[in-house]
Amino acid sequence: MRDPYEILGVEKSASPDDIRKSYRKLAKKFHPDLNPGNKKAEEQFKEASSAYDLLSDPDKRARFDRGEIDATGAERPQQRFYRDFAAEPDHAYTDASGFEDFATENDLFAEILRRQAQARANAPGPDLHYRLPVAFLDAVNGGTMRLNVPDGGTLEVKIPAGIETGQVLRLRGKGAPGRGSGKPGDALVEIEVMPHRFFTRTGDDIHLELPISLSEAVLGGEVPVPTPTGPVMMRVPKNANTGTTLRLKGKGVRRHGGGQGAGHGDELVRLKVMLPPAPDPELEKFAAGWQAGKSYDPRREMQS
Amino acid sequence: MTITRQEFLMRANLDEGTLEAWVAEEWLIPTGTATEPAFSDADVARAALIRDLRHDLDVNDPGIGVILSLIDQVHGLRRTLADVLRDMHERGGRD
Repeated sequence: MRDPYEILGVEKSASPDDIRKSYRKLAKKFHPDLNPGNKKAEEQFKEASSAYDLLSDPDKRARFDRGEIDATGAERPQQRFYRDFAAEPDHAYTDASGFEDFATENDLFAEILRRQAQARANAPGPDLHYRLPVAFLDAVNGGTMRLNVPDGGTLEVKIPAGIETGQVLRLRGKGAPGRGSGKPGDALVEIEVMPHRFFTRTGDDIHLELPISLSEAVLGGEVPVPTPTGPVMMRVPKNANTGTTLRLKGKGVRRHGGGQGAGHGDELVRLKVMLPPAPDPELEKFAAGWQAGKSYDPRREMQS
Repeated sequence: MTITRQEFLMRANLDEGTLEAWVAEEWLIPTGTATEPAFSDADVARAALIRDLRHDLDVNDPGIGVILSLIDQVHGLRRTLADVLRDMHERGGRD
């Protein structure tokens, strides 16, 4: 990096005002947007603005003069210049009025202007971005949802089964209208799956904590279990415990990307033994006289 | 890729009042509706240009309008010139 005083063409003793004036002169000459076709201007402008950033800050300038920092300490954040966008064909600010007087009927130039005007008049519409919260079960099972759009209309969004938060659905032609015969843009709908009261999801599997009574835990039996597609009966084995996890095959989320026959994930049911909320004299009497219950120490593994 | 008003204010480092004034001057022309304006990356770069003109080059407001209009015409000319050259090239190639 060159010496910033040299870049701005000022003396070491230059006043802040001199520095400002000198920078302004260079910026006028080299600002990339005032030099649309000159690639070198960008380098020169960056050099001048870095030098100016350094020397216009009295504190930085003093530290530079004392040799504490070098000229590279003044890099500007990357700026994208307007000229990089102005060349795009459907550019909104295009102005062709500056040479309309060149165009006469039937010549090459008039034809090119006509073609440009046509391309602009029929520019495709931009894509519009939306966010759609989807209920947990709708995301698992799929369905159709309505999305209210700012202009007052609604969009019908088909939710494929198994969709996840962050996935984006593209609705062709549902974006902003194009100009003239230009195609409309697309609507891009980002999905946000809402949490469920008792289901959670890991990949294609559904997790559920299922409370069971003490009698069901001890004796086993059939209990109803909610699944995303409705309740099913599940066999709880004898002596089931809190933490015992039972697998309901194929009751999870449809595997996506697998095509036909890819099947579903599973529902994993974790049991949780619940005592009745009110004390029960009969149960108390039983527990008091139950020897095996007293000799079993569930905290054995916590002892060191 | 469209940018919402809120995101645009952040990325272009502008306050509400300034944005309104610039839109009123037609220095910036957002697409979308009046209540839900949509901006583009080109608008962010154009806002940076306007800021450079005001702060670094000390151009006053009427001057900015003149400069933007001339810059837009230069880009129009550049594009047309590029099209003319391409067209001539294609015609030349057919002979």
